Amino acid sequence: MLHTSTTSAFVSRKVKNTVVKNTVVKSILLIPLVIVLLTVSAGFAYVHWSKGGTGAGLYSRHWSPDPVQGYWDPDNFYQSTEIVKGLFKAEQCIQCHEEITPGIVSDWRASRHARSEEPIYCNACHGNDHQQLRLPTPDECGRCHAKQHGEFRDEARHGFPSHVLAMERAVDTKHFADKPKAELQSCVQCHSVATKCDSCHTRHRFDAAEARRSEACITCHSGPPHPDGETYFASAHGKRYLAEGSDWDWSKPLTKGNYKVPTCAYCHMDGGRHQVAHKSLWKFGLREINPHTSQNRVLRENWIELCSDCHDEKQAGQWLTELDRERKSAWRKLYAAEDILKRLRGDNLLRPAAGERPPYPMDWLDSLWPRERIGFFEGQASAFYNVSAIERDYFEMWYFENLGAYKSAAHGNQAGVEAGHRKMAASLDRIKSKSDELRTLKKVRQKAKIKSDLPGAPWAKGAYTDYNREHN
Amino acid sequence: MPITCNGKGIGRLLGILWLAVYPVLADETVPPGPFTETECITCHTQRNPELIRQWREGPHSTASGVGCNSCHGDRHEDSVIEARKNRRCTGCHDGPASHSYATSKHGVINHLDKIRQDWRQPLRRGSDYRAPGCSYCHLHESDHGDTMASNRDPGARQWICSGCHGPRYVREQFANGQRQLDIADLKLTEGGTLIASAIDPKPGGLLKRYQDLTHHRQNVLLGIGHQSPDYQWWHGQAALDGDIIRIRDALFHGQDAANRITRSER
Repeated sequence: MLHTSTTSAFVSRKVKNTVVKNTVVKSILLIPLVIVLLTVSAGFAYVHWSKGGTGAGLYSRHWSPDPVQGYWDPDNFYQSTEIVKGLFKAEQCIQCHEEITPGIVSDWRASRHARSEEPIYCNACHGNDHQQLRLPTPDECGRCHAKQHGEFRDEARHGFPSHVLAMERAVDTKHFADKPKAELQSCVQCHSVATKCDSCHTRHRFDAAEARRSEACITCHSGPPHPDGETYFASAHGKRYLAEGSDWDWSKPLTKGNYKVPTCAYCHMDGGRHQVAHKSLWKFGLREINPHTSQNRVLRENWIELCSDCHDEKQAGQWLTELDRERKSAWRKLYAAEDILKRLRGDNLLRPAAGERPPYPMDWLDSLWPRERIGFFEGQASAFYNVSAIERDYFEMWYFENLGAYKSAAHGNQAGVEAGHRKMAASLDRIKSKSDELRTLKKVRQKAKIKSDLPGAPWAKGAYTDYNREHN
Repeated sequence: MPITCNGKGIGRLLGILWLAVYPVLADETVPPGPFTETECITCHTQRNPELIRQWREGPHSTASGVGCNSCHGDRHEDSVIEARKNRRCTGCHDGPASHSYATSKHGVINHLDKIRQDWRQPLRRGSDYRAPGCSYCHLHESDHGDTMASNRDPGARQWICSGCHGPRYVREQFANGQRQLDIADLKLTEGGTLIASAIDPKPGGLLKRYQDLTHHRQNVLLGIGHQSPDYQWWHGQAALDGDIIRIRDALFHGQDAANRITRSER
């Protein structure tokens, strides 16, 4: 009996210990799990909440759109005019608009939409209620053009830069939230390639032949950070295209043998695939990448295969190697400049320092820990307007000269490569001497016993600076 | 005197015939040329007085002294058709003025369609031109005084655009363009005020910086007018941002700052 009770007491203690042990183990596992789950769901809830403002995207609560933004991002901001009342049939739309906007009706008449056996009339894309008209989004076009739409959407998995992510990446930047929205309509025009199809297939002809021409891309792909048009037209491919292109039959698909030289679309959207990022190797030249990872080796093979539509495979491989060399040389210069800037930051010589710059809504985090952002990974792409001159010098070296050299190298314009590298070398020299100047000036100030090198707040005032702070 | 079959008689007969058919054949009977500037103006002052008046009061005549021959050539044949084409304008209006247009959607479509384009069609609202060329907007309906000049009726500009675009779209785009330009002007004012505060604008190239400011502000205007996002932004607003940064830097860290310090030491 006693034995039994001792045994049972022992057993119960053992059970109790096990229970305690289990509880401890459980709570050790459970508490962090609960914390993780709570944090993750709070994170999701925060992101969801932050997207619920008057703007769009992650910072939507910090901005409201300019009245024209609805034309560039119809899904988020377009509101139909309510002046004309009524439901209209196709013929009625045309009858009226032939008078009001004859240009678009004539354009539509020349389109495949109008000329097919079962014409696609205005109301198929815009609706028939004039007070609830729609501006067609890619989803709208995708109802019929499912293959192209699917390819276009699928591009998102290749990440940015890409067409399909262009709008959300634009509005999710700090500088978009910071600056006056009227000013930034110049940005969303090009970034609307994600939200409308007529960037390439201009309305209302929506001509595939037009989109195959290289000029179809240059409205956005030209100018300092992306001189694709300039560098292509200066290349051997581009020169021949300019000389003979207008005589070619542009109704042919973008496949081997159909064109004497490649256009933008022939290489970047080969076979008519509605993606530009699937072969993207150097990612716009914005950051250094390792071109020989296993994944990038596959991309290299894809490029070589494409070039060998016309050229010898070995030759194509050689061109890619030359591009690698050009990139390596560019990044050597860029990193040298970044080093100088980071040393200046370490010695507290960047003026205005991050904490002295005009505060913008998106700077609330920076006010806790002001820090100058240098280079791609610190987010300098967003810092080209509210910075010191030497940072802006680097921004231009990186964004304009480096990208110009990269585009030249990728498009086979050797003179452009040389010009880009000459400019980068000159910029590096300028950044070096500017850095020396800043260090000398500091000594002069110390000698003159001037403690504050910024009397008042000359960086935080001014006609535009004040307006910017109030109208973002 | 009876008309006889000698040379003099035939000449006289042809002369009378010519006078009789002149009003009917009009243009076709005008000799091929070449014509001097004075000859063009003398004849067209009688035939198209309104056109000559527009030209006399417009920027070509008043600002740059550009006459008929510059755009129409000195021959009569195809002189109107040729003058409608962009290349007639871009010879003088090169650089940002034509580049901002050439890279715009209007410029691209106009370029790609130029083979199909029937340039004999007058520059009127309708469906004759798929995308506007220089002349379609600036010399609309043969207006020889630049319909797009800032001192002209804004309603006329909106009317031309709304031949293809919805009236609200056109109105909103113009309004946004004005807002963009106002912002560029604020940047110009900010930079200008800073330069005015310099003790000596020469060091640090501050006077050159002011030229940069006005040049980039002009790019914004061209970008808006020609609908070139690149000129609105990279050659315009973003470039103005850079100008202001550098002006401040020259004032507070450059030679100007060093001068201030040296002076205060004295």
